Amino acid sequence: MTAATASTEALWGVGTFVGPDAKVQPWEISNAEIGRDMGAATRVLEHFGVGPGNRVMLCSMLTEAGQFWPFVVGVLMSGAQISFTDATESDGARVALFTRLLDYRLVLGVNDAILDGLDERGVAYDVAFGRIGVVAARPGAYERLEAAGLAPYRLVVCGPVVAIGRGAGEPATYDASEWELTARNGQVHVTSKQPRATEFRDTPTVIRGTVDGDRILPEAVKP
Amino acid sequence: MPRAQLDEMQLERLQTTCELAYEHAPLIRERWDEAKVKPSDIKTVDDFRERVPFIDKDAIREFREARGDPFGGLLCLPIADLTGINSTSGTTGNPTLTAERWGEDPRRPNAMARDLWHMGGRPGDYFSVILFTFRGPFYTLPLTLGMTPVIYDYDVHEVERLMRQSLRYRPTLLYNLGGVLISTVADVAARTGLDPKDCFASYRGIVWAGEPLGTRARTLAELWGLPLYQHSTAGDASPCFECSERDGMHVWEDTALVEGIDPHAYDHRDATPVTARRERCELVATALSDFVAPLVRYRSDDLVQLDREPCPCGRTHVRLWTVGRKGDEVVVDGQSVMPIDVWSAVEEVEPCRLGLFQIVRPRRELDVLRLRVGYDDVGDDRLGALADEIRAVVSAAVGIEPEVELVRNEVLLRQGPPHKIPRVTKT
Repeated sequence: MTAATASTEALWGVGTFVGPDAKVQPWEISNAEIGRDMGAATRVLEHFGVGPGNRVMLCSMLTEAGQFWPFVVGVLMSGAQISFTDATESDGARVALFTRLLDYRLVLGVNDAILDGLDERGVAYDVAFGRIGVVAARPGAYERLEAAGLAPYRLVVCGPVVAIGRGAGEPATYDASEWELTARNGQVHVTSKQPRATEFRDTPTVIRGTVDGDRILPEAVKP
Repeated sequence: MPRAQLDEMQLERLQTTCELAYEHAPLIRERWDEAKVKPSDIKTVDDFRERVPFIDKDAIREFREARGDPFGGLLCLPIADLTGINSTSGTTGNPTLTAERWGEDPRRPNAMARDLWHMGGRPGDYFSVILFTFRGPFYTLPLTLGMTPVIYDYDVHEVERLMRQSLRYRPTLLYNLGGVLISTVADVAARTGLDPKDCFASYRGIVWAGEPLGTRARTLAELWGLPLYQHSTAGDASPCFECSERDGMHVWEDTALVEGIDPHAYDHRDATPVTARRERCELVATALSDFVAPLVRYRSDDLVQLDREPCPCGRTHVRLWTVGRKGDEVVVDGQSVMPIDVWSAVEEVEPCRLGLFQIVRPRRELDVLRLRVGYDDVGDDRLGALADEIRAVVSAAVGIEPEVELVRNEVLLRQGPPHKIPRVTKT
């Protein structure tokens, strides 16, 4: 099944999610669901101790706005500060600059491209990320950081869903009040449980892994 | 706003900015103390022009590295009061950090919103946003205007999706469709049969920014009837946009004081003001509505032309045309060459139609013009002939036969921030 537009409620925006075969799909998002997702994001940030006096860096693409805008608002509402970088090789330099000049409590969304950018500039991962409280990395980057001796947390963008591990090395947890993830033949599918402008009904995603309740363990990517 | 009223407002805001920056920004205070000037000395804009020293990007970076101050000595608030810390593109070197405090502030007009309204964006409309994230979440601007953002990455692979979704949502504004993306529209149209005229028919304003538009992109845009508007910044102090006259970009002068100086000036003491209409000069800008980390007499390295005469659109705010960056100029056998001089020549060669190239500039004065040029759709057996063709067209355009190194387009696009690539490189 694919995702389908289900509502004419006022839209917050049209973002994207990545479907099977890495195909980018439009994702219509209503103001109401953004509001609910902010609540979930705020709880995640509280878990990591994000609040006044500390700082969060978000490494993402603009097309992931629907997934990460709730976290941006959550950071601002918490009284913490936020920095943005693209999740691209060229922005590896930006990540290195930020982490050299500033302290971060949490970095969300590190991916292979950013690590490639650090490699190209000869910046060791422990130099870039060693002082950071929590580094939540996507599949591929997670294994590379772990192989470098760091203790990353897992972050998985599973279609419209962002899942983040609650401890280093743990599977990533998602908001089970909003979503149901299931794995079939290794491929993760997503179903929306609450009214949404775009309903997801067993929609396949590009992510492969296993699901146990509200926790997803993506397939390991060999560094 | 009548000019006299605008001048009065500028002076008042300038004095406020000077007091704030001198009091709180250590780089500004140091520079002013060295120049033996204080905010109380600034009674007129002429006092400011005559006595206040410049700062530039190198001074900010040097202060940052020497003092361990992430904001290069510009921050006027306790760091804890910031909401966001982002960065400039970094195309000309290391990015510099930008300190931000989001939220409503009646002293800080939303200059970009004025221009987007002028282009015809209205509440309830869709707004295509094609960008990156590192300057912050741009999609909040359409949200502020009551518009609905349709979001894309700044990537040639997003162009087909943009065209198809533009037919579906019928947006009225688009930000930002640069030359590389415009050229890609033609490729997508040829491959898919989509008609750019249909795809972009709903748009009232399509903004392009980051890099100049070459002749090819302009010709295509005209053919398809794209309502283009150029956007840039006045030395990072404030945004500027073309109006419906498309004859220069307006800087909102309640947000920035704009000066033109002789580009060869050593410092403020020998900086001759350039006041003649549309004469080439170096842009110096001072932010008038930034109460976080204002740039004061920021020497931008941008070569521009300025015109302070009222525009036919009715605005009295200064207009600006970009010429290039001082740091991008090379002098080959005594002849000045800027990237814009070779742009149209490169993109007229079909495999190089995206106009991706760099001037290799180990220093300003060179014996040979060396170009690194991006290409696509050419087999290895044809590369020699392609290099010959590029040498011929560039030679015809600028009178200098270049050395040409060919690389695939992807190699150059990866260097971007991504809406522009470094047009000069040391190696």
